[in-house]
Amino acid sequence: MIEGMARGESFAARIWRNTWRGFGVKWAFAWIGLLAFAAVFAPFLANSMPLLIARHGQISAPVLKYLSVEDVCLLGAAGWLALVWRLRLSGRRLWSVLLFGGAATLGLALCFVRPPALVIYDDFRGPEFADADWRLMPLIPYAPTDYLRDVGGAGLQAPFAGGGPVHWMGTEENGADVCSRMIHASRISLSIGFIASGIALAIGIVVGGLMGYFSGWVDILGMRLVEIFEDIPTLFLLLTFVAFFGRSLYMMMVIIGVTSWSGYARYVRTEFLKLRKQDFVQAAVASGLPLPSILFRHMLPNGVAPLLVALSFGVAGAILAEATLSFLGLGVVDAPSWGQMLDQAVKSSTFNWWMAVFPGGAIFMTVFAYNVIGEAFRDAIDPKLLGKAE
Amino acid sequence: MSDIGLSENGLYGAGHALLSVRNLSTDLRADGRVVNAARQVSFDIMPGETFCLVGESGSGKSVTALSIMRLLPPDIASHPSGEILFAGRDVLNMPEEDLRHLRGGSIAMIFQEPMTSLNPVLSIGEQISEAVQLHHPALSPLEVEARTLAALEQVQIPGAAERMRDYPHQLSGGQRQRVMIAMALACEPKLLIADEPTTALDVTVQAGILELLHDLQQRTGMSMLFITHDFAVVAQIAQRVGVMRHGHLVEVGPCGEVLRNPRHAYTRQLLAALPENLAKPVAFTPLQAANLDAAGSLPEPLVTIRELQVWFPVRKGLLKRTVDYVRAVDGVSLDVEAGCIVALVGESGCGKTTLGRALLQLERPTGGSVRLGGRELCGLSARELRPLRRGMQMVFQDPQSSLNPRLLVETALTEPMRAHGIGVNQEERIELAARVLERVQLSRDYLWRYPHEFSGGQRQRIGLARALAVNPDFIVCDEITSALDVSVQAGILQLLLSLRAEQRLTLLFITHNISVVEYLSDRTVVMYRGKVVEQGETGQVCGEPRHEYTKQLLAAAPRLRL
Repeated sequence: MIEGMARGESFAARIWRNTWRGFGVKWAFAWIGLLAFAAVFAPFLANSMPLLIARHGQISAPVLKYLSVEDVCLLGAAGWLALVWRLRLSGRRLWSVLLFGGAATLGLALCFVRPPALVIYDDFRGPEFADADWRLMPLIPYAPTDYLRDVGGAGLQAPFAGGGPVHWMGTEENGADVCSRMIHASRISLSIGFIASGIALAIGIVVGGLMGYFSGWVDILGMRLVEIFEDIPTLFLLLTFVAFFGRSLYMMMVIIGVTSWSGYARYVRTEFLKLRKQDFVQAAVASGLPLPSILFRHMLPNGVAPLLVALSFGVAGAILAEATLSFLGLGVVDAPSWGQMLDQAVKSSTFNWWMAVFPGGAIFMTVFAYNVIGEAFRDAIDPKLLGKAE
Repeated sequence: MSDIGLSENGLYGAGHALLSVRNLSTDLRADGRVVNAARQVSFDIMPGETFCLVGESGSGKSVTALSIMRLLPPDIASHPSGEILFAGRDVLNMPEEDLRHLRGGSIAMIFQEPMTSLNPVLSIGEQISEAVQLHHPALSPLEVEARTLAALEQVQIPGAAERMRDYPHQLSGGQRQRVMIAMALACEPKLLIADEPTTALDVTVQAGILELLHDLQQRTGMSMLFITHDFAVVAQIAQRVGVMRHGHLVEVGPCGEVLRNPRHAYTRQLLAALPENLAKPVAFTPLQAANLDAAGSLPEPLVTIRELQVWFPVRKGLLKRTVDYVRAVDGVSLDVEAGCIVALVGESGCGKTTLGRALLQLERPTGGSVRLGGRELCGLSARELRPLRRGMQMVFQDPQSSLNPRLLVETALTEPMRAHGIGVNQEERIELAARVLERVQLSRDYLWRYPHEFSGGQRQRIGLARALAVNPDFIVCDEITSALDVSVQAGILQLLLSLRAEQRLTLLFITHNISVVEYLSDRTVVMYRGKVVEQGETGQVCGEPRHEYTKQLLAAAPRLRL
């Protein structure tokens, strides 16, 4: 066991190495990476505004002018993550950089980003900009809510059909480009998956950790709380809230998060109950270390591995929940989402395959990818397999 | 089958040996790497003989035993050279059908861990009768039962007729090992392979099992291949011995010959590392040292325990009412003088570990008092205890689980220092940690490694370094050498003695090994069923024990004096 091991390799690095082995995992990470790329750079990938336009000898970038607060926040977050990864920060510095960077980006975006309230997509195609010397358009030159009224508003076009502009994945019944909508919808799927699961994870770790470490009365009360929350049907609660408070993506994230932490709490509790008796935790107690250090430094990192597995399945579940809700017609109205697009496919009088296959395929691939990653984590942390591998 | 085998003996020229292993090499494959677990091993076992394979962990003794029964998984293990002849028949090239007859029929095996080798959902009677039925299919159910009973009586289980319906969890460790032996012997094997069968057992139980094996061998005339790491057991049971190291059989010979005049340097080294053979440094008398401190009266002992109780409630019924208590520690009083090494001896379950943990308030005592340096510890809250923990530390038994696998050695050593405000900044603490590592004879570069990169002995030194890092007055060592090989154990014991001489460390050393007690400690405390039955100077307790239990313990402990 000692000989073949790289020197100084941490436990986390070893698990990561074992996870990264299979072909399926690489594929799954590639798909998630592609989605993340599409989500972050959506306005630059699919937009009706030109990236650059030269007019009367002046070059301007209209796409920047129309960036929304959310666009800027996403770009900023991606930038900070890339920086942290580049500098190989870890531990406290990593979290402080991420928190500070995130807060600063959000603050700046809220103060200074003021996109025009009225967006007229036709403008840049219209006569006003016809005299431009040259223009650089995004890969897909249509915004997701650009209904192409100026082009004729044909509506419902199959991919590559008709003589007009080319639509790679066709158009929906209002005439918007499906491919553009797919790209922008990846944001909702990714963010709901991560934020809802993040909320659930945070609650689960705190409640489960307290239950596991203190046991006794805290455990008994905590378990009853877990059971109560397990009995709440997420989907019906979501339907009720949508009916009373209207549709909001953020509300959906919070509700999914608040109702799905019980699984994480159970995992953390079991791990902590087991770890509490471990010699190295006893040694930490005997050394007189303060409680937060015992809980978060000595116990949590050793009990977090099963959580990763649960987390990847949880992300998939949250994505499905949002898709289901949107499919039922109760999702977000103003932004496209994959579930909502599927709903459109069904509602139409004729069956239009391109409106079902692309969003359905994307949902399938994403959920599948998260499940594959979850499986790989599970195999990697299995002590029996680890023993065999070393 | 065996008749043919015996008649072929002469043909193969294997003499009269029952088992003959010739130039056996065993390779184990894992993840593209090949480990030469055994290399060119040759030995013979005569009928009715006991052959001991002895060696430290990883020396290839178990692998060799498993190869003889061909129990190694064929996709992992291969034999590039060698042959195994059992009663003249080639085991390595035997068809699967014959192999099945061989296993359990002519060769039986018992394992180290009696807890896991029995099926927990079947009664022991059912398990033994299954073995009986398998080998004598013609017997009627009544006859099978009679044979099962006889088998249990043969291994001297008291009240065998009633115990037949018991399940494994109702038996003690020694009784389970006896049941395992009964199952192995139900088919009257010619060779019994015993793989460390007494390692997990207490010494008094071990003595009983060894005696039983000896008796059974006398009665049935079977041969025995006995695998152990303990030379004292070898001296008791073996007729011939083979010493293994790194897969090589370095020395084979008659037991007395090998133990008294070892020819190979490694054998000599192993024998010299036994605690009873270690050169004891100049005796240190803490009482005299204490006398020098205070001219008048003796100073108060560093640790004073009075009437300490740790009772665990036994709850039963719907309302979980407390019906009784498990008295793990029941009214223990003892003193530990500063600079003294006190050994706490007893068998498993006697409460010695609980006492050690209760002393440090890791387990809250239900009664009594513990004073450390004049300060009462019982009844303090976790918060009040935290600053006091600097003065008392613990080293744990299992080097695998006592270090956090996620943290660098540096973090493990400096974190307690920071918690107790030792060192002005991290640089200074790292320097202190490096010096502590050097004191336990490890390189300071080891600060930047993770626990899984170290061997068991090194980890135990790191555990000791962690305890020493906060410069405590008092350390509880809970069986810290019992998971280690003898040569590694010798290093740790010598280190403890030198540390004590350097800085007047006070130790409570919990162990079950009498030889270690005699080597290391100034005073000895013997525990039995939660109570202290005898305490005094080590020479007196081990030399002229007064209590009946101490006498029994000392008589059962296998010792090898050369």
